[in-house]
Amino acid sequence: MPALAELLQRTDIWRGDALATAPLPGIPTGFAELDAELPGGGWPRSGLMEILVDRTGIGELSLLLPMLARLSGEELAWLIFVAPPHLLYAPALADGGVALSRLLIVAAAGRNAAWACERALETDGVGALVAWLPETRPTELRRLQMAAEASRTLTCVFRPGVAANTASPAPLRLALESNERHLRVRLLKRRGNPLTRPLDLAIPRPPLADPSRHALACPLPAATAARSPGQPA
Amino acid sequence: MLWLALSLPQLPLEALASRPDATLPAAIVWHDRIVVGNEAATAAGIVAGLKLAAAWARLPALAIHERNPAAEASALQRLACWAGEYTSEISLRPPQTLLLEIGASLRLFGGAEALYARIVSACAGQGFQSQTAIAPTPLAAEWLASAANGALCLDGKTLPALLAPLPLQVLALSPAEEARLASFGARTLGDVLRLPRAGLAKRFGAGFATRLAQALGELPDPRPRFVFPQRFAERLELPAPVEHAPALLFAARRLIAALCGWLATRQSGVLHCRLELEHQRGHPATPLDLAFAAATRDGERMLRILGERLHSLQLNSATSALRLLADSPQPLPGRDAALFADGHGNPAQESLAALVERLQARLGADGIHALCRVDEHRPELASRPMAPWSAAPRTPAAAHGPRPLWLLPQPQALRERDGQPQHGGPLRLLVGPERIESGWWDAGEPGATGDLRRDYFIALSPHAEWLWVFRSAEGWFLHGLFA
Repeated sequence: MPALAELLQRTDIWRGDALATAPLPGIPTGFAELDAELPGGGWPRSGLMEILVDRTGIGELSLLLPMLARLSGEELAWLIFVAPPHLLYAPALADGGVALSRLLIVAAAGRNAAWACERALETDGVGALVAWLPETRPTELRRLQMAAEASRTLTCVFRPGVAANTASPAPLRLALESNERHLRVRLLKRRGNPLTRPLDLAIPRPPLADPSRHALACPLPAATAARSPGQPA
Repeated sequence: MLWLALSLPQLPLEALASRPDATLPAAIVWHDRIVVGNEAATAAGIVAGLKLAAAWARLPALAIHERNPAAEASALQRLACWAGEYTSEISLRPPQTLLLEIGASLRLFGGAEALYARIVSACAGQGFQSQTAIAPTPLAAEWLASAANGALCLDGKTLPALLAPLPLQVLALSPAEEARLASFGARTLGDVLRLPRAGLAKRFGAGFATRLAQALGELPDPRPRFVFPQRFAERLELPAPVEHAPALLFAARRLIAALCGWLATRQSGVLHCRLELEHQRGHPATPLDLAFAAATRDGERMLRILGERLHSLQLNSATSALRLLADSPQPLPGRDAALFADGHGNPAQESLAALVERLQARLGADGIHALCRVDEHRPELASRPMAPWSAAPRTPAAAHGPRPLWLLPQPQALRERDGQPQHGGPLRLLVGPERIESGWWDAGEPGATGDLRRDYFIALSPHAEWLWVFRSAEGWFLHGLFA
């Protein structure tokens, strides 16, 4: 049936037993086993992506770091972080290869955060938008998905793990758990056949070798008395 | 030279702060005589020059307003500022005419017809009904405009033919002079132009003959040039007090259009301007400062920023008038089409600048920031937020141990049990210690980090979180997360 074969060439239609093809090639994630399981062979360049994670500090940013480094360093695109839960630490980002001169951080809470995301998606030259929206509502997510679909910005939204129980308009959903040195990624939803087995990614962790460094700016004065020589001993 | 005359017959009515309802007859009165009436009044036969008693006899329901020359002058000046968008050669012809020299602007705006249509519609957008004409001399343009036949005369040769059918009223002569011309049998301007000029000069004075010659372009007709104010300060009375802040956007649009015209004649933009909302009954005015990432004279961009500011504004008292203030215009480089897009002024950069402005307008100036790395061994100080677009300090990458991606704003104290720090269970210390100490030089200063003595460890919690903890004299603290 030639008509059916033609139809299957479309990027928004895929067979249930195969991975969909993406309209744009994805951005390599830096992890080959993850690239192999994502439509387009990497993070999607448009459309919403949800990362469900319950704890901070398990490696959720290290997973994105190769992509952020590539977008800001090689493609000279801007990175916008909306409502991060803690302070982003510049030395660690720079060590990870992120160009700090192309990074903007938006401090917004509640509905302002979703509003800021929408405005950022309307802007040219934004390579990646990473937002923490713990209490976002379905209508806001739907609007974000529409805006992300129309833009050329990688849009990544962090939400708590309980969101896995509710439906979401995002075409790609990941849940993260820490597994000691590895990061366990479960693909909850993707365009294509579902993947039931979790992926254990060897994300960069702090080296276990003892750094044995001593960050001392200058030698300490020998004794407090040295600063006040006039005092009798 | 090509002059566009913008005559505003309804200006006395339009300059009124509280504009009367257009469907009810209303008129402006000056010294007991009607100056101008609105459409409903004119339809009932209320014409200019009618005595007030006669007008009331004809139409008892007529509402009258005293003329306000100061408001008219200020409206005319605001309109002159706005017209700076189209040309820098502007001459005011009080009480109600504006002359624009558009000869030099034709190419930019795509020809006389296009410019004419654009000015007429923009003038209506400013809230003024206009009669417009184009002629090679200012006087002819004025006459054609006051006759309201919308003439476009681009060539001096066709001018006498266009002027010929005009009635004598456009000359604004005294009744005696008009009667005298009528006694010669002259009914139109064409009749007057046919009469011998020397005889006219003898009977009506040299001035009259000179004006005719000036209108035809035979004699020069220098006009005083409108001097744009050094500082932009325009005020707009609102027709009714406004309680709801976003509703002010529409009125502010007019002031911003005037500001853009004022900026266009100076080839400049503004970095900031201030809109003051004046309230009734002695409430102090509410100032709204609008700041832009780069000098701009893009009215739409200003309105977007203003819209965000008004959106988050709660008015305590109704607003009765708006005032827009701007000074220190910044030169704005002309935009030339670059063959290769470079970093400076490319569309993506401008689009991002607009985003930053918009976010700042809604979230406050520190709602959006950039991040820079500082050569400093104390962890809190090695990463610093800074305003977008400010230059980051150039620092050599200092060698240091592994650093976490998340830092807590304040170190969080951890409980200790059996000599082990606890965070949801006992922590496993994997790497460490890395000693970070000293900082006596700013100890005791307000807000400074001060002297430190800390041993940092990388620890793994029972929930498999990778943590950055330290031990100091005060005990164990959590300081960061390896995300």
